[in-house]
Amino acid sequence: MAFYSHMLRNMRQILFRDEDQHAIPSMDGPLSPNNYLDAFTPVFDDLTDVDDVVAGPDGLYVASGHDVVLVGKDGSRATIARFEAPCGALALHPDYRVLACVAGRGLAAVRADGEVIWLTGAGGVALTCLTAVAVAPDGAIVVANGSIRHPAADWLWDLMEKNASGQIVVCNPGLGDARIVFDRLAWPHGVAFSHDGASLWFTESWAHRVSRAPWSPDGPGAREIVIGNLPGYPARLSATAEGGFWLALFALRTHLVELVLTEDGFRKEMMATIAPELWIAPQYASGRSYLEPLQGGGMRKLGILKPWAPPRSYGFIGHIDGHGEFDRSLQSRVGGQNHGVVSVVESDGDLLIVPKARGQVLGGQRQGGESRQ
Amino acid sequence: MSVVTSPTPPRSSSSDTLKALRYRFSAKLFLSELLAKNWMEPIVPFTLMLALLGYFAATVPGYLSVDNLQQMLNLFAEIGLVSIAMGFVMISGGIDLSVGAIFAVTNLAALIMFKIFGWPVPVAAVCTLLLGAGLGAVNGWLVGYLKARPFLTTLVTLIILRAVFDMVSGRYATDFATSDVESPVWDFLGAGRILGVPTNAVALLLVIVIGHIYLSRSRWGWHITAVGSSRKAARHAGIRVERVLFGAYVLSGVLCALAGLFYAARQNSAGSDTGQGWEMQALTAVVLGGISLAGGRGTVFRACLGAIIVFLLINGFVRLGLEGYLTLSALGLVLLVAVGVDVKWAKNRGKAIQKIYVNPTWLKLPPTPSIARGSDSPFAENDRLSHAEPIGLGQVEGPEDVILDRQDRLYTGTREGWILRFSGPKFEHREIFARIGGRPLGMAFDREENLIVCSGGMGVYGVRPDGEVFKVTDETNRTWGKLNDDSRLRLADDLDIAPDGKIYFSEATIRYEMHSWDMDGIEGRGNGRMICFDPATGQTRTIIKNQRFPNGVCVTHDGQSVLYCSTWLCKVFRYWIAGPRKGQVETFTDNLPGYADNINRASDGGYWLALAGIRSPAYDLAMRNPDFRLRMVKEIPRDEWLYPGLNNGCIVKLDAHGKPVESLWDPSGALHPAVTSMREHRGWLYIGGLENNRIGRVRLEGADPDWTGQDSYWGKPSDQNGRGEN
Repeated sequence: MAFYSHMLRNMRQILFRDEDQHAIPSMDGPLSPNNYLDAFTPVFDDLTDVDDVVAGPDGLYVASGHDVVLVGKDGSRATIARFEAPCGALALHPDYRVLACVAGRGLAAVRADGEVIWLTGAGGVALTCLTAVAVAPDGAIVVANGSIRHPAADWLWDLMEKNASGQIVVCNPGLGDARIVFDRLAWPHGVAFSHDGASLWFTESWAHRVSRAPWSPDGPGAREIVIGNLPGYPARLSATAEGGFWLALFALRTHLVELVLTEDGFRKEMMATIAPELWIAPQYASGRSYLEPLQGGGMRKLGILKPWAPPRSYGFIGHIDGHGEFDRSLQSRVGGQNHGVVSVVESDGDLLIVPKARGQVLGGQRQGGESRQ
Repeated sequence: MSVVTSPTPPRSSSSDTLKALRYRFSAKLFLSELLAKNWMEPIVPFTLMLALLGYFAATVPGYLSVDNLQQMLNLFAEIGLVSIAMGFVMISGGIDLSVGAIFAVTNLAALIMFKIFGWPVPVAAVCTLLLGAGLGAVNGWLVGYLKARPFLTTLVTLIILRAVFDMVSGRYATDFATSDVESPVWDFLGAGRILGVPTNAVALLLVIVIGHIYLSRSRWGWHITAVGSSRKAARHAGIRVERVLFGAYVLSGVLCALAGLFYAARQNSAGSDTGQGWEMQALTAVVLGGISLAGGRGTVFRACLGAIIVFLLINGFVRLGLEGYLTLSALGLVLLVAVGVDVKWAKNRGKAIQKIYVNPTWLKLPPTPSIARGSDSPFAENDRLSHAEPIGLGQVEGPEDVILDRQDRLYTGTREGWILRFSGPKFEHREIFARIGGRPLGMAFDREENLIVCSGGMGVYGVRPDGEVFKVTDETNRTWGKLNDDSRLRLADDLDIAPDGKIYFSEATIRYEMHSWDMDGIEGRGNGRMICFDPATGQTRTIIKNQRFPNGVCVTHDGQSVLYCSTWLCKVFRYWIAGPRKGQVETFTDNLPGYADNINRASDGGYWLALAGIRSPAYDLAMRNPDFRLRMVKEIPRDEWLYPGLNNGCIVKLDAHGKPVESLWDPSGALHPAVTSMREHRGWLYIGGLENNRIGRVRLEGADPDWTGQDSYWGKPSDQNGRGEN
């Protein structure tokens, strides 16, 4: 069978040369590699296991472990909510509620007085794998459910099974009337509204793309792919005042992983026999064990690990304009620490990022990665 | 010494056995070696020739009869000779358009000398050849010494000679017919047979054989090819380009004259169209045979092959009764297709070989032993190498092997092809001890304190104590029945010297070079071998074939056996060189957690073993999936290939019986990634690494502070016999 499927693939490559093969685009222009992200430093040393951060009028809301912590402008800490499971993406509702995605459960809306209401399902789908949440200007709430097969922490399994079973769900401000607006997505990982509120943008990690849909009070219109073939796996988005977005790629695609994704037999055997952290697969962090698969360019030579080695993990945030064109990027290359960025927001002109490799909120200047064009 | 076949890799089930068998033999491997042979280059014209023969044999009645074949050979010989003449000039990078004209003129001259002047045949023959040489010399002088363009020059001589021929032949045409000069020798030249083969065809055969030997085996022939390949490079290499070119044109003239002589003897007349258009026929033949128009590529056989095809086409179409113009257009069509295919073939042959050269095989390793930190496994991870003292940090590039002499000086081979020597109490003094070239790898001192070095890409070399380099050996016996000549040493890896002075060394792979050792790993095939050099006889013999990357070599303390590591099998083997089990191979250490590299003696009777890398689960899985590896090397760039895990350092201590007892680690590889060698010396362990920029050393607690490798191998200086004789 393997022989047959590979022959078929080879024939397709010969007969349909122009067929989109999703070759990994090269990173040049505004995506040229740089080290700006390495200059970012932890903002709060005491908050660990962080998954998301949002800026509110009274300070920063941080999803740290099972807690949502409000860090006031004076540096005070206040635990807004504590859940029984790890807490992921956050958003602030205009009515001052905090929206928090809780692993294995659903979306929690926390009122200032501590009362919590839940959204746990929509259209027959249990929202156990929420990866992102956003609020429309009219108060409607949009959440992304990465997959119906795995919890968010097992994203690697979902990638290697090549699933496309995620949803975008819309509900009203009271978490009622929840409905699936986009289905069968390849791990939707970020949702955000444009600065003018006219369109809903979302990312799909395994399809390496960013899409948008016009927004009206009835919900989103037809989707349109804005970036079709990213060089990495996109995570969350956040709108910027100039009409664009900050986009985080939590890892870069490599030729080897792409190859493994086409090698069904090998991949299945790998998943069945090897621990996930040692798979040939992207990771939030790497270089911590010599049992990890090594690629040729990653060999240490003359005491040096080449920064251009094939990246098992990588740090990348980039700014896209309203048309989906990158105009700058900040990166942490092979050998750097600030890898696996899933979230990036602007706060008071500076950037806050959440690199999963460190599980902390890091801050730094946004000036670094201005476009060279 | 008998050749031992390889010990089979570990197998666990019948399906594994099947897989191992299936991937052990590869038709592609054979094909890639076949295609790489030089004689496979003209495969397209050769096939065409066979096809034509077959076609005409089937359609023309009596085509393969002896009578017909004799006749055809008779007709073919002259054009064959002229084509070879053209071939020689083209290989030298020029072109000789005057071949047809020289042929015609010498033909005429032979007839005049014999028929009109009545000279004896031998005199006429020699004079004809001399005339041909003279005409060729004019071309050669103009092209070689006056640097005229060959195309224009020979075009001009073509026109002049043709005019001369027309003038003279018209005057004598009737005289030939009326001449009554007869000679049996002349008739023998024209119509004789030797063992049934026409005289002129025998001459052609002789020319082919001698010409081939001359072109491919003689200095002069090589010079012609060299000049044709690159005139400038040939000049820089000291070849007298003018003389070589001159010689090529003279040779062409002589061959044309030979053809002319036979033609004269056969026809006994000179028609006005003698040799007309032969330059184009010869040119077509030569190009069709696969001799490059750019020069430097081609053989005598190929020129002849092309000529046969052209001849067969013309002859066959005539015999089929095709009209003249149809014959010509059919000829043109066939040539167009053949040349087109041949151009594509010549261009893509290398690529085709490249595409099928790598042939991964199936390799299943047993479950890896525990390396867990804090466990009681001898391989338990620790940090004992993480504080190694640096030596020559930043002053050395790739110290694959390290060794110390009796004066405590430290030697290492680097990627520049040098042997560096560090001396002083802290090894702070660095000097270049010798420049061998290649990639110096394993090293050992012999009894006379010569440093014997395996140099990847060159062979085994030695360095005398004064720094003078000498060759030990660079080839072994060729394997019988193997298509590829595997006698040259490609990647001599490590060596050791037995008490009787025999040098045992490993050749890691015979299919790849030093810079592509990783390809051999991806192939995982038994491409390596163990070789022995006997200084007493000067002979080098392969002793064990088909090993999977044989790497480190060490003669045991008792001198009875040789240990060698198989890197991809993660094993150490023992080969007995003395005692009752002499000639046998057995496993010494099995199931290592990583890739065994060099192995050396330890002071306590055991052995130090470097692990260049630790097995990673993903790579192990890939080794069980040869098709995956094949597609990997085909589809993605080399930097992205999955490699064995080499970014860590580990040295294992084996006891005298091969049982692992302890290990020293640099888990992060910050100081010593890919440890390829280590050498114990006076209580310290010195560490080398293939891709490192430092040598390291760690103190060995409890080790004999006076022990040195020299004493262990050759005894203490005082009780050594015969020392200082040389």
